[in-house]
Amino acid sequence: MSTVDEVVGAVPAPVVLEHRPWWRSRAVLSALVVVGMLAGYYAAKGKYGWPAVLEWSSLKTHLDSFQIWLSDQSNETSPNLFFRIVNGISGGLDTLVRWLYDALTKLTWVGTTVVATLFAWRFGGLRAAAFMAGGLASFAAFGLWDESMQTLSLVLAAVALSLAVGLPLGIAAGRSERFDRALTPVLDAMQIIPAFAYLMPVVILFSVGPGAAVITTMIYSVPPAVRIASLGIRGVPSNTVEAAKALGSTGSQLLWKVQLPLARRMLLLAVNQTILFALSMVVIAGLIGGSGLGDPVTNGLNTNPAVAILAGAAIVIMAIMLDRVTEAIAERTDPTRRHLDEAGRRRARMTTIGVLVASAVAIGVGFAANAGDIYTRYTIADWLIARIQSVLDFIADPTTFSFQHITNPLGNFLTQHILLPLDTFLVATPWFVTVAGFVAIAFILSGLRPALVTAAMLGLIGLVGEWQSAMDTASQVLVATAISVALGVLLGVWAAESEKVSRILRPINDILQTLPQLVYVIPFVYLFPISYVPGMIASVLYAFPVVVRLVERGVRDVAPQAVEAAGAFGATRRQVLLKVKIPLARDAIMLGVNQGIIMVLAVVVIAGLASTPGLGYEVVQGLQRNEFGLGVVASIAILALGIALDRVTRGNQGNRRTREDVS
Amino acid sequence: MTTTTAPAALDRAERIDRTGPPLIHAEGVWKIFGPHADRVLGTPDADLPRAELRAKTGCVAAVRDVSFDVWPGEVFVVMGLSGSGKSTLVRTLIRLIEPTAGHITIAGQDVTAASSADLRQLRRHTVSMVFQHFGLLAHRRVIDNVAFGLEVQGVSKAERLARATEVLKLVGLEDSANQFPDQLSGGMQQRVGVARAFVVDPKVMLYDEPFSALDPLIRRDMQDEVCRLQEETGKTMVFITHDLPEALRLGDRIAIMRDGAIVQLGTPEDLVGSPADEYVANFVRDIPRSHVLTLRWIMRPPAPGEEDGPTLDVRTTVKNAISVIAANERPVSAIENGRVVGVVDRDAVLQAIAGEDG
Repeated sequence: MSTVDEVVGAVPAPVVLEHRPWWRSRAVLSALVVVGMLAGYYAAKGKYGWPAVLEWSSLKTHLDSFQIWLSDQSNETSPNLFFRIVNGISGGLDTLVRWLYDALTKLTWVGTTVVATLFAWRFGGLRAAAFMAGGLASFAAFGLWDESMQTLSLVLAAVALSLAVGLPLGIAAGRSERFDRALTPVLDAMQIIPAFAYLMPVVILFSVGPGAAVITTMIYSVPPAVRIASLGIRGVPSNTVEAAKALGSTGSQLLWKVQLPLARRMLLLAVNQTILFALSMVVIAGLIGGSGLGDPVTNGLNTNPAVAILAGAAIVIMAIMLDRVTEAIAERTDPTRRHLDEAGRRRARMTTIGVLVASAVAIGVGFAANAGDIYTRYTIADWLIARIQSVLDFIADPTTFSFQHITNPLGNFLTQHILLPLDTFLVATPWFVTVAGFVAIAFILSGLRPALVTAAMLGLIGLVGEWQSAMDTASQVLVATAISVALGVLLGVWAAESEKVSRILRPINDILQTLPQLVYVIPFVYLFPISYVPGMIASVLYAFPVVVRLVERGVRDVAPQAVEAAGAFGATRRQVLLKVKIPLARDAIMLGVNQGIIMVLAVVVIAGLASTPGLGYEVVQGLQRNEFGLGVVASIAILALGIALDRVTRGNQGNRRTREDVS
Repeated sequence: MTTTTAPAALDRAERIDRTGPPLIHAEGVWKIFGPHADRVLGTPDADLPRAELRAKTGCVAAVRDVSFDVWPGEVFVVMGLSGSGKSTLVRTLIRLIEPTAGHITIAGQDVTAASSADLRQLRRHTVSMVFQHFGLLAHRRVIDNVAFGLEVQGVSKAERLARATEVLKLVGLEDSANQFPDQLSGGMQQRVGVARAFVVDPKVMLYDEPFSALDPLIRRDMQDEVCRLQEETGKTMVFITHDLPEALRLGDRIAIMRDGAIVQLGTPEDLVGSPADEYVANFVRDIPRSHVLTLRWIMRPPAPGEEDGPTLDVRTTVKNAISVIAANERPVSAIENGRVVGVVDRDAVLQAIAGEDG
């Protein structure tokens, strides 16, 4: 590669900036479209809902009967090959999860704690061991030991399988440019599609149970494994790979002796990310039979909030614990930095033996002392729940200051003056004006093909009869995205300008992104008793860190020469920021909008669990009341809405990557 | 003092074995990067200047129609500015980059037609390479890095460690055997790189700008080191550099590349004494001619009676001859194989030195 760069670098491609008069700028044209939509709204308010002619009203019934047929087929005494495979998969996965859970139980709580802590200590060091011990101790203290072990076994199974699938794919993609290009759109799709969109199909095929939960989790947690593994292999210095080739290494020698050891740290970080992604699906997995910590969260959300919050806290603790432990292991066992000599190797081996012996002793003691399979002794669960409940009561008490002057007015303002008007606008504007408006904006911002895709997706939403619900969801998404982007751009630019702000924001962003999606929703359900608001705030919290990160990087990456040159011409800092950095970082900001809107959608539909009206709520209804037709239709609409919003905000990505390398 | 002892460079030239076939034979080698590069070849497009070719076809011709021979024991230097295609050329020799066209033979083996197994054997036993950015394995100790080539060959652990230890002694790194690459300075890392290439006892060593990442002082040391190794072992070397003094110092013959093609191929004296074109002339302008030119370039046929002066080998550089010529009134005789082939007087020396300003 270096030689190619050397050759190519000699002739830099000219950068041509497009230039158009202000009245043809994208912002102005989009604003005109909105004005046109407003005109349509006032001219024919509420007269033209989605026409019944264009609606396939019997679709739900058909889907219901299809589902019944499916379950009949698969429950037959001798189902055909397809169902035997499907049943085999879900049965096998069920068994795997159960087997892991049994193993954790058999170890007894004493054994599990000691083995896990010693393992963390041996490979991750003292700090990792402390996180592990602390995490396990808090599960016990919360009285959620059993649920935690169920979740842990589910996560372990999903992670193991995700890695078994993802790492080989990622390694192959790291070694082959072509394979990587083929794989990328598939991974993109797997990550963009909101989990709520594939929940129903998975349940219909694999029926409710740990198996379905594992598959749902895997769809979400395979992509990071592939991506990071590929990145790790690519990150191996090309001159090292070349040197190994020049010495006559075979392909497998290159892989095992050079690429894998040098990429080892990244591969372990892939494990780390896979675990976090898998954990963030725990609550959703709980919906379809994953049991474990997801159950108290979903069940408690509407009936026993304190328990839901406690279980949510346990999930967060598990995420932080596994994150820190695996990260420490990745760093400490990196062979390029560890520099083990013979004596060190011997010491390490002795420690391993010691750990194994101590583990055996601990398990033995656990049995001998009859410690019990799961921890049920002294917990502070009751005390904690009482405390949480009192806080909740205080927050929800309409006589308190915060309720009267902060949460209630804020919630009311958001709902009455922003959300509902927008919702009414989208719903009551004649459907053809709304569709045309979205398509026109997609065309202006992104081009012809995205516009056509947007038209098709909106048509699909109407066809399956979800126009009204989809517009409800869309209005929530738009408002939450606007807030996320405003917040994100503001903080991102600030962080790029000030090292101090960046340092403060980074850990906050990390934590917000590590937390499982639904965990955000829980506290806000009580802070803002109005049904729309919690989901929106949760989605803002989930999405804005990404916007911050993209914008910060975009502004920082602005060519330092351009900034320096502007400074040399005597531009003030403000001029540099407004005239050089932000215009040049526009792509990054647009990308932030695009990513933000997708993440917001994912959380907004999850908020359906907290009875926020919209498509997510219908999926939950479908799952909880066995209304499969409704659930599937809503899933299709979520998917279509996601694709449409993605295309509208995608921007002119194709033309941006003008400087392609000839190689 | 009538005859100065021949400098090391003279001995070196004698070790080049031109009796048999060349060790490396490259003929009509092309490398074009880009879509459908093979279609460009043979069309008039291939002769276009680089920028035009790129504009027209999207292809970049990194190496164009390069041919040369390297003889056993020779130090063959390829010199050029960055982007001249020299690093690409050396990689095509062992097909780290596939040549688009051309024919390459190394030690009698047809490289361009070799199967991947043959190619691996060639890389394992016949040719080894030293890289600009070292390319060491960060996760292995120095000794394991040096032994890597043997490990790849399947040599047993005890034997490969023993041989690696020997070679480490040769490059003066025996004390660092258990350290890791990132604990060494750049110069020491490149010594490891040289040792790693050396340990498999190859016939040919390829050096791709091995010292350009190093400080000038260390670079000088390393050049001495390479000279010493070459003298001790007589290995054939292909040396890539963008540094003309380095090329002149090391090379028996030098190929100067520009835009992918060789513009001149010859001994250091050829380049300095009679540059082929403006480009080469510009290159060598700042080189002190007296350091490179030998008596052969400034001698004239002896007039009768002049042949009995002090004698010097005809391959002595002007610089080294000055003291002898200055100390004698009579012209100095240049001898080759014991015969007087010409004489050099003070005027000739002064002219040669004066010519350095022009």
